[in-house]
Amino acid sequence: MNLELSVEEQAFREEARTWLREHLPSEERPPEGAEMREFDLAWQHTLYEGGWAGINWPTEYGGRGLSDIQQMIWYEEFASADPPFTLNNSCTFVGNNHGGPTLIVKGSEDQKAEHLPRILRGEVVWCQGFSEPGAGSDLAGLSTKAVIDGDELVVTGQKTWTSYAHVADLQELLVRTDPDAPKHKGISWVICDMNSPGIEIREIRTMSHVTDFCEVFYDEVRIPLSNVVGEINEGWRVAMSTLSFERGTAFMADQVELAATVEELIDEARIRSDASGRAMIHDDEIARRLATARAEVAALRAMTIAGISRTARTGMPGPEGSMIRLFHGELHQRVYRLALDIIGAEAMRLTPVDGEGTWTGPYLQSFAYTIGGGTTDIQRNIVGERVLGLPREPKVPQ
Amino acid sequence: MDLLPTDEQNEITNTVRTQLAADFELNDLAERDWSASVLDGDIWQRCAELGWFALGLSEADGGVGYGLPEEVLLFEQLGRHATPGPFLATVLAAHVAAAAGESDLVAAILGGTARVALAEVEATPVSTAGALSGGAAPGGESTTRLRVTDFGGADLLLVLDGASAILVNAEGLEFSADTSFDPLVPLAVAAVDLSGERVVCDVNDELVALRATVLTAAELAGMAAATTDQSVEYAKDREQFGRPVGSFQAVKHRCADMAVRADAALQLTRLAALAVAGGHDDATFQAESARLVATDAAVTNAETNVQNHGGIGFTYEHSAHRYVTRARMRAATAGNRSSHCADLLAAPSPS
Repeated sequence: MNLELSVEEQAFREEARTWLREHLPSEERPPEGAEMREFDLAWQHTLYEGGWAGINWPTEYGGRGLSDIQQMIWYEEFASADPPFTLNNSCTFVGNNHGGPTLIVKGSEDQKAEHLPRILRGEVVWCQGFSEPGAGSDLAGLSTKAVIDGDELVVTGQKTWTSYAHVADLQELLVRTDPDAPKHKGISWVICDMNSPGIEIREIRTMSHVTDFCEVFYDEVRIPLSNVVGEINEGWRVAMSTLSFERGTAFMADQVELAATVEELIDEARIRSDASGRAMIHDDEIARRLATARAEVAALRAMTIAGISRTARTGMPGPEGSMIRLFHGELHQRVYRLALDIIGAEAMRLTPVDGEGTWTGPYLQSFAYTIGGGTTDIQRNIVGERVLGLPREPKVPQ
Repeated sequence: MDLLPTDEQNEITNTVRTQLAADFELNDLAERDWSASVLDGDIWQRCAELGWFALGLSEADGGVGYGLPEEVLLFEQLGRHATPGPFLATVLAAHVAAAAGESDLVAAILGGTARVALAEVEATPVSTAGALSGGAAPGGESTTRLRVTDFGGADLLLVLDGASAILVNAEGLEFSADTSFDPLVPLAVAAVDLSGERVVCDVNDELVALRATVLTAAELAGMAAATTDQSVEYAKDREQFGRPVGSFQAVKHRCADMAVRADAALQLTRLAALAVAGGHDDATFQAESARLVATDAAVTNAETNVQNHGGIGFTYEHSAHRYVTRARMRAATAGNRSSHCADLLAAPSPS
């Protein structure tokens, strides 16, 4: 047990702080469309040029080969640099946090060489194609089918809840390649070119009015077999490693940012007053909830560091990541709920989902935190079964 | 930066766990319910010989030479086993005596020959403010009304009052025993003159209060972990409707929530111990945070654990109720939820 940063880590922190002071954009992120894509990729490229892309990725694929602790330090420095946007609210998220890390552990050398540098340099947007209308929490029940035809897969079906599909170049796509095998054993994880003929994308409007959410339709879309990551029909195992990254390290940036958000909220409570002119922070209930939020983001950070410590010994994030994800998702919602109780009549005004001093938009967006990436019910199943060893739910007879 | 215990630290945990399992069987201790002193001299002596009271004291002061993180590992185990006894008072008193340069007293405390009970100033009801505290007692002295735990056989009282810690001679003190909420935490009230000859030594040091905060958090975190384990074990064994009840989401999800609360409390308490021991700027922030998270985890998990056990959890025979009452006793020790909320909000934000 120790909290000390090594000389190298301390130097890394200083380096990050200095660089951010000089390079952090001051303009807000465009909320949608081609402008948004351009902004996100330009920032990713700036990060790459500065040496801040793929901090914990292997050096042979353009990363810096540093530790998860250094990755966390970077997030902490970013959050405290008072940025005009959040790191994960970007169309580069899936490439950086899902597709990339999955290729690093499961991809072929050719796949890694082709895709990883492009993700880091900000040349490509990835999206996710996991959920389907009939396969949400029961992800392995997916039915988008892929038939092998020569050296290609022919894909027909539908995916949904795909953020940024309309601006994406590539997709991590789960398809059923063996309809006769048990459901976990007939799935493949493939890289799909989003510009292929036969793909149709429709936007889905969300309750937070974000327009980057989509559903994707596939009508005999042809994908080279060389785009299969891992073996054919081994896609479930590949997808589990994708999700372990999601539950392990992908949300570290959000978790760090949440700590800054709570501090910002405490400042709001000092400034804003209730009807009698008393500062909100002198309301006992508000004060207690703020103190609790402060304590809980501190706990989230400790759990994150403990998770990093575990991963450093085992090499892969374990199921404990679901505990962090579960705690974080619900805490995130409590924080924004509290925010709306603090800002009073300001809560009647809709503000953007991202940016400084905005509360109502992020509150609406916060509902995604207990649904996306596995609902909290699924996270609780994982904690119960894989961390605590409780028996699985009995199968319902077909 | 690494939050996992080292092999050496795991060895401390294992030793403590083995000893607690052997000497502090809760069912045996139940014989002592509501007695004035629940740990007899032999057991206490063994704890002393194992160096438990001395873990975090420097070798120069007669201690083992570890620090607050190792004390935290001890208190996690005490919490896990719902071990009764004046451990917090003893460990803190040794630090106070060492800070005051009372080396003979340090040796007596560490050796288990000077028994210490924890005392805090009893809150006065608002309507009669001033009537109980500071008033003239029968002897004509100016006394303070103290709430004392583990008073039986105490040679000294450690009086905690904010950042001030006072060691008081308990010889001949009159204790008015109360019916304790927790049968294994003897409770009494005593009126004591805190300015007179009874004072052995006192220190005014934020570090003593922070140590009390973190060690209490550690004990609470240990309880939260123990009740999680109890519930998980029971949910695997207990069958209804032809299958273990832990296979049902309603039960499984409660267990998952308990595990998350316990892990949050444990990891944050360890981090807080490191921050306090290292003299970091955010030490107060982390310690107060740990105390809040651990309090909520211990109380909620103890309550949920009773529910998970159904009828058996409601019996005196089962130990589930002991975690309910112990969590409440410790939640009201060295401050309470309200005071710690206020202290946390007043703490500077971590950079």
